[in-house]
Amino acid sequence: MSKNQYEFTYIINPVFEEDQFKTVVEKVSKLITDNGGEIEEVEEWGSRKFAYEIDKKGTGYYVNMYFTAPATTIAAVEKVLRIDDDVMRYLTLKLDAKMLRHRELVKNNAVPDVFAVVEEEEAKEA
Amino acid sequence: MIKNPSHPKKSIRKVKQCKFTKAGLEYIDYKDVDTLQRFTNDQGKILPRRVTGTSAKHQRQLTTAIKRARFLALMPYVAENLR
Repeated sequence: MSKNQYEFTYIINPVFEEDQFKTVVEKVSKLITDNGGEIEEVEEWGSRKFAYEIDKKGTGYYVNMYFTAPATTIAAVEKVLRIDDDVMRYLTLKLDAKMLRHRELVKNNAVPDVFAVVEEEEAKEA
Repeated sequence: MIKNPSHPKKSIRKVKQCKFTKAGLEYIDYKDVDTLQRFTNDQGKILPRRVTGTSAKHQRQLTTAIKRARFLALMPYVAENLR
């Protein structure tokens, strides 16, 4: 079966203690591997303030990860996470060619800064 | 103003250019909140193309990126002071 690359971001419920977040991260990672996915990269952004309240909560623990998996994995994983109260929100994105190239740029730290170019020109004009 | 070539305002009119095309950016990331924020007004609304000069292709990408960021509460749907 053909495999796709996915980007997956989720928010863990802030009711946990700091060390308990790790268990939830492991649980989600295990859920993906159990369903035939291969994890490439997990990046924990840590606790962040929400731009608006979600379920009367002001902060959440963000985790961003990349994995390779067949399409059937996604349905299985999302089915579990939809019910799971530990994970408040999740966003799964399938990486297309553009996004893959962008990810390479991110890895090499070579993402062009959109506003740096503009500010340079404005400085020239002034 | 447009028709009159000697109108003083005509020379000031600035040609807007797409910032993403200029920077050579192919994909607009929803995680890059600082950049996305500059394409919204203080209410949190997405600015139109005629204001920012973004190309149609990038404006489409920009809207999806902003909407993804909103879903993950990285950006507001409506600014705090207006709610």
